[in-house]
Amino acid sequence: MSRSYLFIPGNTPAMIQNLDVFDSDAIIIDLEDSVNAFDKDAARSLIENFLTKYAFDEIKIYIRINSVDSNYFYSDVNQTADLAIAGYVLPKASVKAIKQLNQVSNKKIIPIIESPMALLRVEEIAKQQNVIALLFGAEDYTKELKIKRTLEGTEILYARSIIAIAANAYKLDAIDTPYTSKDDEEGLKTDALNAKNLGFNAKALIHPNQVAVINEIFAPSKTEIAEAKRIIKKSEETKQGAFSLDGKMIDLPIIEKAKKVLEKAKKYHL
Amino acid sequence: MKVSAGSLESSDCLITLSPSKELKITIESSVFDQFGDQIHEVILETLKANNLFEIAVVCLDKGALDYTIKARMETAIKRMRENNE
Amino acid sequence: MKEKSLKKLKIIKTIDELFENEEITLNKNISFHHHLRNGDYVINYVLQKYIDEEVQNINLFPSAIFPNYKTILTLIKNRQINNITTNYLNGDVAKYISTHGLKGKLKMQTHGGRARAIKEGKNYLDIAFIAAPYVNLKGDAVGYLGKTRCGSLGYAIPDSLYAKIKVLVTDNLVDEVINNPEIKGENIDYILLMDKIGDRAGIVSGTTQITTNPLGVKIARNTSLLLAELGLIKNGFSFQSGAGGISLRVTKDIKEIMINKKIKASFFSGGITKYHVEMLEENLVEKLYDVQCFDLEAIDSLAKNKNHLPISASKYASPLNSERVIKDLDIVILGATEIDYDFNVNVTTDSHQTIIGGSGGHSDTASEAKVTVIVSPLIKGRIPIIKKRVTTITTLGKNIDCLVTERGIAINPLRKDLIKQLKNTNLKILSIKELAEIAYHFTNIPKDITKRDKIIGEVEDRTYEIIDYLYQK
Repeated sequence: MSRSYLFIPGNTPAMIQNLDVFDSDAIIIDLEDSVNAFDKDAARSLIENFLTKYAFDEIKIYIRINSVDSNYFYSDVNQTADLAIAGYVLPKASVKAIKQLNQVSNKKIIPIIESPMALLRVEEIAKQQNVIALLFGAEDYTKELKIKRTLEGTEILYARSIIAIAANAYKLDAIDTPYTSKDDEEGLKTDALNAKNLGFNAKALIHPNQVAVINEIFAPSKTEIAEAKRIIKKSEETKQGAFSLDGKMIDLPIIEKAKKVLEKAKKYHL
Repeated sequence: MKVSAGSLESSDCLITLSPSKELKITIESSVFDQFGDQIHEVILETLKANNLFEIAVVCLDKGALDYTIKARMETAIKRMRENNE
Repeated sequence: MKEKSLKKLKIIKTIDELFENEEITLNKNISFHHHLRNGDYVINYVLQKYIDEEVQNINLFPSAIFPNYKTILTLIKNRQINNITTNYLNGDVAKYISTHGLKGKLKMQTHGGRARAIKEGKNYLDIAFIAAPYVNLKGDAVGYLGKTRCGSLGYAIPDSLYAKIKVLVTDNLVDEVINNPEIKGENIDYILLMDKIGDRAGIVSGTTQITTNPLGVKIARNTSLLLAELGLIKNGFSFQSGAGGISLRVTKDIKEIMINKKIKASFFSGGITKYHVEMLEENLVEKLYDVQCFDLEAIDSLAKNKNHLPISASKYASPLNSERVIKDLDIVILGATEIDYDFNVNVTTDSHQTIIGGSGGHSDTASEAKVTVIVSPLIKGRIPIIKKRVTTITTLGKNIDCLVTERGIAINPLRKDLIKQLKNTNLKILSIKELAEIAYHFTNIPKDITKRDKIIGEVEDRTYEIIDYLYQK
């Protein structure tokens, strides 16, 4: 149900101790790209000490561990095994990598689909045990294809579509790639709407100032909420499995969707 | 042989360990008046938990919270032990 | 107030001439204004003469002391100064007084209180030195024209009316008529000419940029949401913000609400920045009442926008002035170094007991605004801003209504009306003690290092009540 997934660097105390202040629905504490090779151990210890001492009820905390091919994978998993986190974010995900992770951990997994091969295998990945969402990593993906990433997003249209479709089919969350121009609010809105319109229900972010925009875009609108309320009200009144509202046929799937909208609205205090 | 962990960024601290005949803790902090004793306590507790007494600790603090000081201490100790292997 | 004097206005070319014409040793109470802020050349020029002539027992009445007023530090070290009465000070002078005190005492007033004390003679001024960027031969002056224009001369106006001897100091003497002069020539005794009265680059204070720090952004957003929920952002409302990065961000957020809901404010008051000027020019507010310009754009706006008006310190905030602007102020957004369980606020000293400021208009506006909001991060460099008792009371808790931090909002229990209005809010409202506990949960409880052995000064509110003392650190 999270709308926003904010990456914060795992070796930066100032960010870690404010992780609940940023109002992101979910936080991904990063041990991979934002932490220097010689400080991986420092980051692990920092996160371990922080999450052992402090608990956060409302916010979902994930840790992006290093890829299974790195020297840090097993240390990352071992040192975070006892922490009360919502799961791991697995970079450079592949079916093999997920299986490897599941051998040493039973935490939930959000694989990052960030290579052409991963994209081709996205359905297999979605089926793997413990996978709860798919996160699209467009930066690495476009780098591998040797193409340029644009705001218009035509070059990642297929990738986004197939990920959203696979996620939906296997009842996973679909998390879009971060928008890396942190001062460009208009660009962020466009990029987020492009993802939403393809079926993504959340977006990853790299800067706290992006949270408000993302949360608004991926939250149900006032109109949606009002309509959901009407549907639920009528469904409670008619006690029928299907009924008509404003000339439209309302049946069980639509009622379920309306319930989810109201659930989200309640959670996000809308 | 000196070993370090942490940084001088805001809310962090830089811990440097070196062998010493006796236990010595030196703290430089922007909040020394308010938290000097507390920082000393955290460093001492971490040394005790790791059975380290013949050691000199220098802590350059930029307003780090207790969990950070403990984490940086643990990392420095781990690095020191890895160096000695 | 002087009746029309037969004394002719003297134009002098050096401070030496003043010393020749007046018995300096009989006129020890001298005043300056701070409108050239850290770019002022006048204070150092004048006081250098006092240093050289070894004048003793000086009582200084500067409206504020900025870091580059180094001659003040020299005079203090030379034991030539007895007392200093001011509204704000920081830099080396402030540091020195914090550790050594003065021969006499440091009295902290408020901007409105200073105007009142000068008029009532409680601050008795012998000589007022008034840096004035644009002066004519009659002695009329404005601050928003001239090569060294600095904007409104608000804090100098009471000095120009009530000091015994008034000296305008200018680098721009003209033979022109000045319409609506801020300083009227009929009150002036001397015009002292200088090559340059200041450096305009030094006027811009370091804190007049809108914050982009995520914590500041969040605090500002929650503040604007709080104000909107309290129904305070409506047509004709009035508003003042401090110059801090978070306060300016609040102004920006409120602007967005105003544009969306087509709301126009009646006035903005206090220290004016380019952001306020933009809103005037975009027709989002009727008038700007300017007692001080914080940047160069504000200065130029004074000269060209007819609804951007310079006001005197008295018209701004003197309790004596029945027309004072702040009596109609709806909202004021202010900062704090510390706040305590009783909502008393400190902007005078930092957590190490060093003097880093003073009320300025803080206590004045908090006393009169319908809603006073303090905006601040909960923790600064491991130090929680909430304490059991602040190091120094600058503004009394009964005048502070809300504290907005990144981890929650506290409402003063005295404001039962606001608490009632926020009964069903989605905003995170906590008691001030609960907020303090959250801070301590992260930082641990700091040792209280406040020393209260030696009094070096006092904090005088606009009512003349001494609300706290300053102690040597």
